[in-house]
Amino acid sequence: MRLFREKRVTASIPTASMADIAFLLIIFFMLTTSFSPVKTSVDLPESVERAEVEQNAAIVAITAQDEIVFSDGDNPGFNVNTAYDLAPHIQALVRSMPNKQFVIRADRAVKYAAIDAVLDQLRRNGARNIGLLTEQKRPKG
Amino acid sequence: MKVHRYRTPAEIPTASMADIAFLLIIFFMLTAVYSTNRGMEFAFPKDDPTQTNVQPQEAIHIKITGDGQYTVDRTPMTIQQLAGYVDQKMKQAPDKPVIIHCLPDVPYYTMIDVFDVMRQLKVKNVSVPTQTEIERWRFFGYLE
Repeated sequence: MRLFREKRVTASIPTASMADIAFLLIIFFMLTTSFSPVKTSVDLPESVERAEVEQNAAIVAITAQDEIVFSDGDNPGFNVNTAYDLAPHIQALVRSMPNKQFVIRADRAVKYAAIDAVLDQLRRNGARNIGLLTEQKRPKG
Repeated sequence: MKVHRYRTPAEIPTASMADIAFLLIIFFMLTAVYSTNRGMEFAFPKDDPTQTNVQPQEAIHIKITGDGQYTVDRTPMTIQQLAGYVDQKMKQAPDKPVIIHCLPDVPYYTMIDVFDVMRQLKVKNVSVPTQTEIERWRFFGYLE
């Protein structure tokens, strides 16, 4: 004889938070893609003093292999062969926005000659506002 | 006759609260890590004929000859000695220009290290001449 009936809980996978997780992933990928118009991976040098660089500044990235990638800050970056090829792009930007900031995002191990060539082009073509991207250096001691 | 009605108690759904919080945490973590948009400001002199240019003879001349090798006014120094030397000079003459002359083969971070020291010492007048300028100065006998 059965005294009472067992109550059966139906087996189910909780899917209520699924949408949130999906949202989260969407936001993750949106963020990681939109923040850097230049997606070259560089190992930046470190400095103690750091100032905020301007939003949508033009970026000149120099990788450890001496590749140069240029972006005007709004459009995705593209490779240029030598620093000399930057000249028309810099001129075009400076003509429309004389105070446009140019940010150099160079690998820490790059030889200074490569930086010098880029700085020289920036200077010759009328760029005045330059930023050198760095990572935060922890003061020793 | 009374009909029994079930009243569902008024409730704010808080189950997804944790998810939203997580989401915000992740958002702020990402913006902190991914936006490496800080660095060192660097301004070229304006093309202004009334503005006086850096006089190489009067300046402190820092020459970076190799990885962690610096020559300041022709004396080899470590970065600590360099900082002390420049700091002392700045106390005597706060407007004294500093020229950072980096040789082409030196890794970039060495130049950043020196530049960082100048920024920390609040040196107003830092000049990083390009190779073309250095050649011009050398031509006029300002540099050895």
